[in-house]
Amino acid sequence: MSGTAPSTTRRSLLRGGLALGAAATLPGCAYIRDEPPVSAPLPKSAKAEIDGDLVYFNWADYLDPKVVKGFQKEYGVKVIESNYDSMEGMYAKIAAGNQYDIVFPIAKWVVKMRREGKLRAIEANELANADQVFYSGSYFTDPWYDPKSRVTVPFTVYKTGIGWRTDKVSGMTGSWRDLWNPEGAGHIFTLDDQDEALAMAALLLDYDVNTAKASHLDEMRKLLISQKKVLRAYSSDDVNNMNGGGAWIHHMWSGDFMYLREGLVENKANYNFEAPQEGTPINSDTYAIPTNARHPGTAMLFIDYMLRPENAVKNINYLYYPMPVRDAVATFTDLAKEVPACDVDVTALENPDVFRLLSAKDVQRRTAAWTEVKAS
Amino acid sequence: MAVDVPTRAPEDTGERPRRRQRSSQRTWLWGSLLALPTAWMVTFFVSSMVIVVLLSFGNTTRDGFPVFGTTTENFSALWDEVYLRLFLRSLVYALATVALSVLIAYPVAYAIALHGGRYKNALIAAIVVPFFASYLIRMYAWKALLSDDGLVNSGLRNTGLGDGIELLNTPWAVIGGLVYGFVVFMILPIYASLERMDLSLIEAGKDLYHSPFRTFLTVTLPATRPGLYGGMLLVFLPALGDFVSAQLLGGSSTFMIGNLIQQQFAEGQNWPLGSAMTVAMMVALTVLMVAYLRATSSRAREQ
Repeated sequence: MSGTAPSTTRRSLLRGGLALGAAATLPGCAYIRDEPPVSAPLPKSAKAEIDGDLVYFNWADYLDPKVVKGFQKEYGVKVIESNYDSMEGMYAKIAAGNQYDIVFPIAKWVVKMRREGKLRAIEANELANADQVFYSGSYFTDPWYDPKSRVTVPFTVYKTGIGWRTDKVSGMTGSWRDLWNPEGAGHIFTLDDQDEALAMAALLLDYDVNTAKASHLDEMRKLLISQKKVLRAYSSDDVNNMNGGGAWIHHMWSGDFMYLREGLVENKANYNFEAPQEGTPINSDTYAIPTNARHPGTAMLFIDYMLRPENAVKNINYLYYPMPVRDAVATFTDLAKEVPACDVDVTALENPDVFRLLSAKDVQRRTAAWTEVKAS
Repeated sequence: MAVDVPTRAPEDTGERPRRRQRSSQRTWLWGSLLALPTAWMVTFFVSSMVIVVLLSFGNTTRDGFPVFGTTTENFSALWDEVYLRLFLRSLVYALATVALSVLIAYPVAYAIALHGGRYKNALIAAIVVPFFASYLIRMYAWKALLSDDGLVNSGLRNTGLGDGIELLNTPWAVIGGLVYGFVVFMILPIYASLERMDLSLIEAGKDLYHSPFRTFLTVTLPATRPGLYGGMLLVFLPALGDFVSAQLLGGSSTFMIGNLIQQQFAEGQNWPLGSAMTVAMMVALTVLMVAYLRATSSRAREQ
């Protein structure tokens, strides 16, 4: 290029670009901060009244779309849906300042978000159907993850066990050892989930499911690597692995097993589920309203709508996950009558095998062990 | 080599004689047209790269939130035999992917470019259109195809060709997924350089009593080398960093470096370590790429 005019343009372009680049790095300031608060004050509960469209943030396909449509029709609002594919992804977006009106955190994430002041209080008196979950004697009036149930309403409960094909393997003993069953060699799957896989090994070795002790992790790592002789893969796509015929014995979630057996396969009798005797991790998902939600009132009405027994029944029949809504509990018990091991006794949430919130250092130690298992 | 083929290097195209003096108005127009993409790249590419580099010296708070810092701990943590093994495994998968892609792409591109006739464009479109669907969706489709009771295996069983093979959750499935995912990046550049090639050169080769095979080796292949090298690079880089194929189609021992990095950003809650891995990968790949480019360009110059 010749002449002075173009070179000036180029230089100013470069300068402008650099200035823009510097400005664009500003969001990086999010990564300059102090240690987080350990107990933030609880933002006040909203009144249950329509204050705008609902910005909804959940796992994909984790509520019956017909029920969501019903809510839109009854209250004349839109539900704007976005999805997350992991709790870490959900948390990162909320921490970055994205505004959602309702989210569905897993128990240990409730602990974290409540502690950091990221969740708004939910006043049970505002909800017409609160007695469906918070009746006297209900476990959820004071669950382990949310003392006095100040910021959440229970959504689903589930446990982790073993699903298997009765037409392919027979010698199941009701222990986590069944995931080493030689009859299923080459057709055994373990969940591709750090907590679940480590918990399975910990339960077999009689350790705490949340252990981050170096000696424990070492034993667990060896045990999990010993499974590779018979293991086909690590995968959390349990429903499709079973349905595609590759899996005969699958480390899986109770709700997914119910969906597979009752909703997908032709010959139900060929599928069974066990809750191993060493103990099973039990977990629960919740409804929660982020502090920075712009329409918390609509979110309150949404939760209330979901607690109506007829809607809970529809959701149970769609999701195949049990919900602790009093007048809908029978629906699930009935659904699970042929595989009672899938049913979840909510008092079992009191047991020690729940996934607690761990410090980052502990999580990173557990990740290192899990990485070694997968990489070997 | 016997035949001197005039390969057109990419920089030659810029050497058109300047026809007229550019007015300052025109320059202004080009400058402003350039400004938008530049701003876009700087904002979304360079700055996020800067954040990754800065984070690689960072650490995490007690609750797993990444913060900037000045520690080199993340880089010293990379000297782990486990990570090295994963890197080597990924390298093998990526090289296998490149090799298979060449074997598939070359005949396809050759057939279309030289024998496609008036259907050329339609055929290229037919190859490109499936790639409009998301990579993830196509991997899920492969899962349905390859599973033990999937289409391929039921086909085998129904035709009595065998009682099925275990395809899904093996290294072969992972490499197959990678090839399917990226082979189009090999077909297009090879096709482009075949298109540009002077066909009379092939005839000349034949006139000089070369067998078709020798003509291919000494005429066609050298003439299309730039496209081939470009395609190899375009397939190799994404294949090496991929995690989707291994996650969806892989077995118990097919974990790749991409999966490892993804894990640090997800359940591992260790963005700084993941960033350090990313930076190390970029450095390693840059070194590899520079070496590769120097080797290939000096070989091209020897011609």
